[in-house]
Amino acid sequence: MTSDTVQGESAGAAAPPRSLTFTEPEAEPRRKRRRRQSSRRNDPRLFLFLIPAAVIYLWLVLWPTVQAFRFSLTDWDGLSATFNEVGLGNYRRLFGGDSVFTQAVGNSFKFMLAVVTGQTTLSLVLALALQRNTRTNIALRALYFFPTVLSSVSVAFVWSFVYDPTFGLANTLLSAVGLGSWQQPWLGDQSLAIYYLAIVQIWFHAGQMMVVYIAGLQTIPPELFEAVDLDGANRWQRFRYLTWPLVAPATAIVVAYTTIQSFKAFDLIYASTGGGPNHATEILSTLIYNSAFRTFEFGYAAAQSVIFVLVVALVTVVQRRAVALSSRGG
Amino acid sequence: MSALSRRSFLTGLGLSGAGVLLAACGGPGSTASSPTTAGASGSAGSAVTGTANFYHWRSEDKAVIDTLAAGFAEKYPGASITQTIDPSDQYQSTAAQKARDGSIGDALTAFRGTQFSQFSDQGIFADLTGASYTGNYVANLITPGAAGDKQLGFPYQLIFNMPLLNTEIADKAGVSDVPTDWDAYIAALEKFKAAGVDPIAWPGNDPANAFQIINSLVMNNGPTPDMFAGIQDGRYKATDDWWVTSLTQFQQLSHYFQQNFAGASNDGVLALFSQGKAAILPTGTYQIAQVRKAGGAFPIELAPLITTPAGTTPTFEGIFNATFILGVNSQAKNPDAARAWVEFLSQPENAAAYANGTSQHVTVSGVEYENADLKALAPWVEKKTLLAPRFQFTNADVRSAIENSLVAVATGSTPEQAAEAAQQIVDEKRGGG
Repeated sequence: MTSDTVQGESAGAAAPPRSLTFTEPEAEPRRKRRRRQSSRRNDPRLFLFLIPAAVIYLWLVLWPTVQAFRFSLTDWDGLSATFNEVGLGNYRRLFGGDSVFTQAVGNSFKFMLAVVTGQTTLSLVLALALQRNTRTNIALRALYFFPTVLSSVSVAFVWSFVYDPTFGLANTLLSAVGLGSWQQPWLGDQSLAIYYLAIVQIWFHAGQMMVVYIAGLQTIPPELFEAVDLDGANRWQRFRYLTWPLVAPATAIVVAYTTIQSFKAFDLIYASTGGGPNHATEILSTLIYNSAFRTFEFGYAAAQSVIFVLVVALVTVVQRRAVALSSRGG
Repeated sequence: MSALSRRSFLTGLGLSGAGVLLAACGGPGSTASSPTTAGASGSAGSAVTGTANFYHWRSEDKAVIDTLAAGFAEKYPGASITQTIDPSDQYQSTAAQKARDGSIGDALTAFRGTQFSQFSDQGIFADLTGASYTGNYVANLITPGAAGDKQLGFPYQLIFNMPLLNTEIADKAGVSDVPTDWDAYIAALEKFKAAGVDPIAWPGNDPANAFQIINSLVMNNGPTPDMFAGIQDGRYKATDDWWVTSLTQFQQLSHYFQQNFAGASNDGVLALFSQGKAAILPTGTYQIAQVRKAGGAFPIELAPLITTPAGTTPTFEGIFNATFILGVNSQAKNPDAARAWVEFLSQPENAAAYANGTSQHVTVSGVEYENADLKALAPWVEKKTLLAPRFQFTNADVRSAIENSLVAVATGSTPEQAAEAAQQIVDEKRGGG
């Protein structure tokens, strides 16, 4: 225990000195304090607070995941009270004799690549253009962000009017500007329909990703830009050697999120084309839905889901690695 | 509260987790209740009270059914009917799941084909064999509601899934009669084209409506009336001559579709037809009410695709379908009211109100049609028509494969290539179960 005595300004005066005495608790040995903090951290009672979240997670996420894998080894139709174990039969069928599954995997990658490329580029361009907090920029950000708050089905509905070849906006505009020969069946074009849907997805979510990029850009210290300007860097060099590497964390988030989002674009595609024409816009998520609820092959759909999860995980890991290498200039 | 040791905490957590896992065991077999038919067949009992839910897909019929429900409530004081309506494609995919525990759909409907077969297999429909009102229906039109020797439902609507022809345009174009052979059909389409209208408005991006055309396309091409069931069970192949011929004829027909037909929505083609910009809407009578609602006031005739050459008599003159199969849920919360509702709808006066209000023919006999379109098309009830073969498919993937071969030939594939691609998928689906 130590005590300090601080004498007041009147020290030395005739009046008895007024002294203020602060008494600190005796300094606890560091080791003892650490042990106490450690034992507080390890107090098992604290784990009780995790139980509600853990129960919900186990019940609504982990257990259905385990069940999906379990059902992928069966021929359950999703309705019957009984089913048969088929071992790896569903997986053999997926990889050995289902051309629609192969087509859906291909479409998923086409859609993902188009959306990730388009959405990342567009959102970065918008963010670069609107990163300063002026009134106009803030208003424009709100405008570009707006589609994100719409429901997917509403977006699909709106764009089905745009793409309708008979009375749709796209063909009407082409005709109005004298480009009637460029009119298209749009979503009826089997080779391009998936890319037309990718445009819708980009329109839908680019504003959301723009916000992520703006947040990333605003964390870059302005002195760095001043420094490269002093060094005489042009706009491209400024972007290539400063902005791009420093927004890498934001890019990683945007790319990963966009990838997962594009694989999960079920509602948009289902409401727009249902996977048609002739499976031209069938992606894995619409195929899984069709297998489970249209042809009632729930076990087969579960096997497709397991593969779907693995594909998304693999692609995400590869993309994170690619973004990391790219930002290092590798 | 005494401090817990880490070990006791983890043990507790593990036990809680195990409890949760066991509680979550909601897979197949965990629903203890089994379909019951007790008291479900026959006529309504005496205790018709409370609310029964009627589950179906016909949103366009809601007002008419509400009116009928009001009549039902008058007849059975203390009883009422509510409606749950899903869009047709959603109904096809989720109705069985939603209705299987009886939480909705005390009385419910099924599409002929895949869905009825599914309801039958899953025991969703109660057995209505021997119901007193069975005789109210035209006997041969309710067979699609039977499974084996049990009458599980009553197909309510009588539909003619054949192309609709705007006879005003036909007259102007110089087509005085509905074509009765393939050459005459193509000649008529040429005349429509020359008259400056789209001969056929085909909703290429709406499979449910687009592929109704398949019915009359194959009715006289198929080797047997159950041709599509034959493809599904392996007796026939998509590469057989009759289907390749059908694809060839469809390809020929596609030259008369509106521009960019492959992406066309149902609303778009309905507008083209209703506005008199297209001569033929190749769907069926179920769209007449929508045409009228959209302002189409012209007379309509049915123009099935007659694919036989001139000088030969086609086996079938047209197509019909008996669908909107009414039934009672075996797990109904209010089975008495549900049975009473089906019985109520089966009375000729109520069926007439439904028919005239919705512009649909019904399978109930003795119905007086007042609606002008229904009256005009009434002769088709007596003609030699085939029960729509499209609904013979019970595997949706096999059906899609066959139907998609039509899209393929319309957008550039040869009939042979399209047929082979279709058969490959059929083989995969048949092999994969």
